[in-house]
Formats: sequence, C-alpha cells, structure tokens
Amino acid sequence: MRATTPLRESAPARGHLPPRPDILAPHICADGPEPTDTNAVPALRPGPRRGRWHRLRRWLGAVLVLAVLLGMLTGWRAESLVFGLPAVVLGAMLPLLLPRVPGWRLSLRGALAFALWFAVQSVRGAVDVARRAFAPDMGLRPGFRPYPLTLPQGAPRVMFANTITLLPGTLCAEIEGDMLIVHMLDTRMALEPELAALEGRIRALFALPPNPELCQ
Amino acid sequence: MLEGFGAILIAMGAVFFVAGTVGLLRFPDIFCRLHALTKADGLGLALIALGVALLAGTAGAAFRVALVWFFVAIASATCSHLIARYARHGAGGVP
Repeated sequence: MRATTPLRESAPARGHLPPRPDILAPHICADGPEPTDTNAVPALRPGPRRGRWHRLRRWLGAVLVLAVLLGMLTGWRAESLVFGLPAVVLGAMLPLLLPRVPGWRLSLRGALAFALWFAVQSVRGAVDVARRAFAPDMGLRPGFRPYPLTLPQGAPRVMFANTITLLPGTLCAEIEGDMLIVHMLDTRMALEPELAALEGRIRALFALPPNPELCQ
Repeated sequence: MLEGFGAILIAMGAVFFVAGTVGLLRFPDIFCRLHALTKADGLGLALIALGVALLAGTAGAAFRVALVWFFVAIASATCSHLIARYARHGAGGVP
C-alpha cells in the first residue's frame, strides 16, 4: 500500500534540496541551520525513490505501532480484526495526510535520562503547586516572561513546550514565532537557568548537537 | 504487600487531585488555575495509574493503564496551552 499522489511532491524536501517555504514556515530563524539537516543523511539515491521508500517506511512504522496497540487493547483476539484491520490501515495513513514536519530521532540514553528526570520534575512541580494551594499565603506573584526558542521546529519544540508546563511554577502559555511566552506563578523565581537546563536535556533526548547559539 | 503499596499510591494520587481542585478554587486567575490543574492532577493521575497497574496484576491491564496515563498527559499539557493562548488573546470576560 502506497501513499496517494498529492503527497509525493513533498518528498524531495527530505534531501538536500531547498526546503519548501510553506512547510518551514516563517517562524524559522533566517540564519539558523535548517532543521531537516540535523538528521538528513547524504542522498545516496535519487530523490523520488528515496521519498517513496521513506513514505512506505513511515506507513509501515505506523501500521506496526497501531497493530500492537490494537492487539494489547483487545487481548490479541482474532475477531477484533473485523473492525481492527481497516482501522489500523486507515489510521496509519493519517500521518501521511498531515503536513510534513522535519524528521527527528531519539537517543536511547537521552530518553532514559529524560524519563527519570521527567518523573522527578513532575513530582517537584506537583508538590510545589499543591503546597501553594493549601498554604494560607499562596506566595503567588504571577506574570509572563518571554523566552527565546533555539530548538528546531517540530517534535523538539513541542516536547519543550509541554515539559515546561510540568516544571515547578512555569506554564507554556503561547508560542509567538521564535519566542515562547511562559506564565510563572512567582516571577521572583529564576526562569532562564531552569529552561536552559531543560533545553539541554531535550537536545540530548533528540540527539541534537549541544546548543549551537542560533537565533540569539 | 503489593496490594498495600498500590493502595498507598492511589491514596496519594487522590491527595494530589484534592490539591489541584483546591488550587482551582483558590488561585486568583485562569493562568494560575491552569498550573494547579495540569501539575497536581497530572501527578495525581500518574500515582493512581501506577497503583491500579500494581493491583491489576496482568501485563495487558498495566499496559492499558499506561496508555491512559500517556494520552491524558499529552492532552492535558496541550489543552492548558490552548486555554492559556485563548485567554491571552483577550477572550473578554474570562475570569
């Protein structure tokens, strides 16, 4: 099963050809490295074949994930395939209809370290906010702070924004271009060191080079 | 032993849910309330899910509980971001 034709045109963006302007939207900083470059391998094959193979691999990957999910949810019963099989096949095609995002990969060691750190931080954040909720004087001085984004577009940024919400006292309120608007429960707390540390962990998680000082 | 541990985890999770609700009622504006809901309820759900997975015993049930936690965690962070953005754009009259 292959993807439908309208998607084929987006395939060359994967190689070293110039990125399509409508995919890498105006948020991207002008002088920073192009995000797809961080993961792109030298093009050994001509563009179209590579793109087709890439889409097939993406689709098969989605089929595998959905099939395992279905199996675990239904206890591997054969009769669940009546509805399950069409659902898996169609569900796996959904990512192909969405706009392309820059590719990314995870580092296993980074992921393990991140999971552990994530657990500790979510406990810290929850204990902090629970203490404030029960304290007579909640110790609030809420306000917004901007924070410049240096992570590449796509999964790393989404991960960054969502994890900020779990850190003690911070909440990702909005992303305006390359600027993140963070809401703080107490603006007297230091923001930059915490977020810079988180950024370093996200870079380790996605196997990105350590802070190349873009956009600053 | 395992049952006791699971029950303790579930009780702790309930405490965090109560804390999140108290924060929702006491905090002064919508953004502070989002802090209470995302963080305290997020950990509350994680603890309850962990306790339930311990009590459930089978790997299949534990996996299903883990899935529930995973999707709720993503949805809660995304929703709080969307609500905050909507409130910032002056959706007038949001307390």
